[in-house]
Amino acid sequence: MPKFVICFAQAHLNFRLAELRSLAIIENVTLDFDQKDLLEQSPFLVVGIDTVENAKKLLNRAILIKEIIQLWAADDTLEGILLKAKNLPAEYFAPYRTSSFKFDISVFGSTLAIPDQVEQINRFKFLPLEGKIDLKKPEIVFTVYQDFYANANPKDIPDKPVRLFFGPFLATSNRGLIQTYDLKKRDYLGTTSMDAELSLIMSNIALARPGSFVLDPFVGTGSFLLTSSHFGAFTLGADIDGRQIRGKGNNKNIESNAVQYDLTNRILGTVVCDIAHHPWRETEFWDAIVCDPPYGVRAGAKKIAVNPKSLPKTSVLNPDGTYKLPQTIPYELDDVLTDLLSFAAKYLTPGGRLVYWLPTVTETYDPKDVPRHKRMRMIDNCEQDFGKWARRLIVMEKLQQHEPDLDLDALLVEIEKGIQGVNALDEQDMRVGDDGLVTLIDNPAHAKFRNHYFNIGEGETQ
Amino acid sequence: MLMCHVKGCSTDNFPLRIEDAEMEQVEVEFNEDFCRRLINKIDWPAFVQTAFALGLDQLPAALPDDLDEEFLQRIHKLALETKLKAGRMVCNGCKHVYLITDGIPNMLLQETEV
Ligand SMILES: C[S@@+](CC[C@H](N)C(=O)[O-])C[C@H]1O[C@@H](n2cnc3c(N)ncnc32)[C@H](O)[C@@H]1O
Ligand SMILES: [Zn+2]
Repeated sequence: MPKFVICFAQAHLNFRLAELRSLAIIENVTLDFDQKDLLEQSPFLVVGIDTVENAKKLLNRAILIKEIIQLWAADDTLEGILLKAKNLPAEYFAPYRTSSFKFDISVFGSTLAIPDQVEQINRFKFLPLEGKIDLKKPEIVFTVYQDFYANANPKDIPDKPVRLFFGPFLATSNRGLIQTYDLKKRDYLGTTSMDAELSLIMSNIALARPGSFVLDPFVGTGSFLLTSSHFGAFTLGADIDGRQIRGKGNNKNIESNAVQYDLTNRILGTVVCDIAHHPWRETEFWDAIVCDPPYGVRAGAKKIAVNPKSLPKTSVLNPDGTYKLPQTIPYELDDVLTDLLSFAAKYLTPGGRLVYWLPTVTETYDPKDVPRHKRMRMIDNCEQDFGKWARRLIVMEKLQQHEPDLDLDALLVEIEKGIQGVNALDEQDMRVGDDGLVTLIDNPAHAKFRNHYFNIGEGETQ
Repeated sequence: MLMCHVKGCSTDNFPLRIEDAEMEQVEVEFNEDFCRRLINKIDWPAFVQTAFALGLDQLPAALPDDLDEEFLQRIHKLALETKLKAGRMVCNGCKHVYLITDGIPNMLLQETEV
């Protein structure tokens, strides 16, 4: 397979692989790489992709990738690169012989003064290129990546790059979308609106695309509807709190956001309902469920139930004929998550994805905390670290009909793949509930997340 | 897609009967593949019944074997492009009324119903 070099944007490092794998599925691209080659300290990853066209396609909607080049030479010195470039077969350059071109030296982890860049570029003069040099609009750019690795301490930066890559530049990604969906530009916002970059990444990981049907059961102000519908999906949202959906009566609401981003032709609507007592007829409706569940820090989780602290109502109706709000009781995070997982296992189409945030207190988190289901395979578990606490993006995929239920062995395979974490599983701890929910641990650390969160002194600041 | 979920209400709880409907035509992107899959997900008799009761269309009682584009467009128009702006959805089983306002169905139950 032809080789390429992906240059990541070096944002949300832990999410790079999950997004990359998802993009390959979405764009139907054969992608080959060794996970071990992706380093924290470097944005570069060498991959095999079936065709040049597919390499470009892979970047169409990429958020965490910056750009991609074709790999013609890799070495740990510039001299090595020059030597390899000299020995490249003539047909490599044939298509570009008369094209206007320029060279681009792209340095990661250090700097290279302009005169030094010019000097280095001049050393490529021997290449069989007859076109004119055009710095503004060249027909082809030849890129030299120089990787010094990320070093926290400037005195650790080496004098020479650790490794270099050379080849024709192919494509930039779609990071401009982060600006398009920037919360600062958004008409209707709430305190829980999800940051544009993460929201776009989640829609990628959920495989939202033309023809897919996506639900956010905790829709709030609708961040995931926007980004999923941007990528072509039809979307629906639900929330127990109608005020989130409707806004404050100033015509700023989920609907006005749909208008602002010209997505009314894909955002199908919203429903007010409680996920603990929901009205969906049992059918495999959705290809993806994408959400940020309520965990009581910013937006309280609650579910409908008789609240012993409230007075019974004399009438359920307001004078204008609308319903009074039902009484609610607190909804513990652990129950929210297991309800969400059972819901996903029932309502997702086979192969459909559940993508959600799990908040954790770093010190007590155990990979076994993540609720499991025998019909849902764990695909990824990526951490966004905030120091004492973190949130993890959990990605699960519903099994196909012909696939047997997951068992402990299947979970062990995930551990080997590094998805589930390394803590040993113990068959004795494992319990499978009636509806297929699997519990690996009695008291997950997030069970009372809100209390833990306040104990570590984060207060309401986040 | 929506049914009555009042605790204990399990017969005649779907489809919900729509009353005082205020409808609006919107424009939704047509996606043939999505439409085909949607047809398999909806309860066909309930869909036919609702489209008829709302005076929108008279669909065949049995789903045709051959779904050509014209038929799919018809379903697309009904299922995705016809929006209930306002109205009431009534459960034929327990008579619970769900209100739709500003195009948003309120499916919350009362605390005594869950
Ligand atoms: C973290 S917020 C989601 C914010 C959303 N991602 C956005 O972009 O604005 C969680 C939401 O869950 C809702 N919620 C709380 N309990 C719920 C329940 N039982 N059923 C459905 N939604 C619930 C809250 O009203 C809140 O809007
Ligand atoms: Zn009913």
